[in-house]
Amino acid sequence: MKSKKQIIWRYGFALVLLIVGTLLEYFNIGQEFLGFSSVGSWMIYVAFVMLAIITLQIFSKKKRLVDERMQLIAMKAGRVTFVAIILFAFVVMIIDGIRTIYFPYSYFMSYFISGVLLVYFISYKILLRKN
Amino acid sequence: MKTKITELRKKLKMTQQGLADKVNVTRQTIISLENGRYNPSLELAYRITKALKAKKIEHVFNLE
Repeated sequence: MKSKKQIIWRYGFALVLLIVGTLLEYFNIGQEFLGFSSVGSWMIYVAFVMLAIITLQIFSKKKRLVDERMQLIAMKAGRVTFVAIILFAFVVMIIDGIRTIYFPYSYFMSYFISGVLLVYFISYKILLRKN
Repeated sequence: MKTKITELRKKLKMTQQGLADKVNVTRQTIISLENGRYNPSLELAYRITKALKAKKIEHVFNLE
């Protein structure tokens, strides 16, 4: 189970997202965003998913042990991900230099974050097997 | 790093999970230590030495 402070912070963040999303939706601010009708509705959706995940984590009885080997592997996976980000940025810069890329920033960031998570997950799993 | 964890553990009729629980690490970490794939921290080495009832860390872990 997560510490109380962590849970409060996470709930707080989700609630802030929910409130800001509701306000944006109420005042009709923002346009179509990542497949949602507005930024506000996207924020409300993310907040509800976050709230559901945090609540599930609280009631999860699964004991999760994190030892020093896992911490070391996590650090190594983080380093691999960091190098991957730099390489990706380098490739994007070159491609943009050859031919200007026109891509919505929100889409770029969502793909970018998904890519970072994927690289981290794969490198973590590979390092876990090797070490 | 060469270790005598397997030998000492079997002497005490202890399972990998049993040792892992005693020193508060995962079973995979014990497997890695036994295979020499992972070098433990001084603290973990000390805890393992204690759990295996060895007198000195050198009796369990060998740098050569």
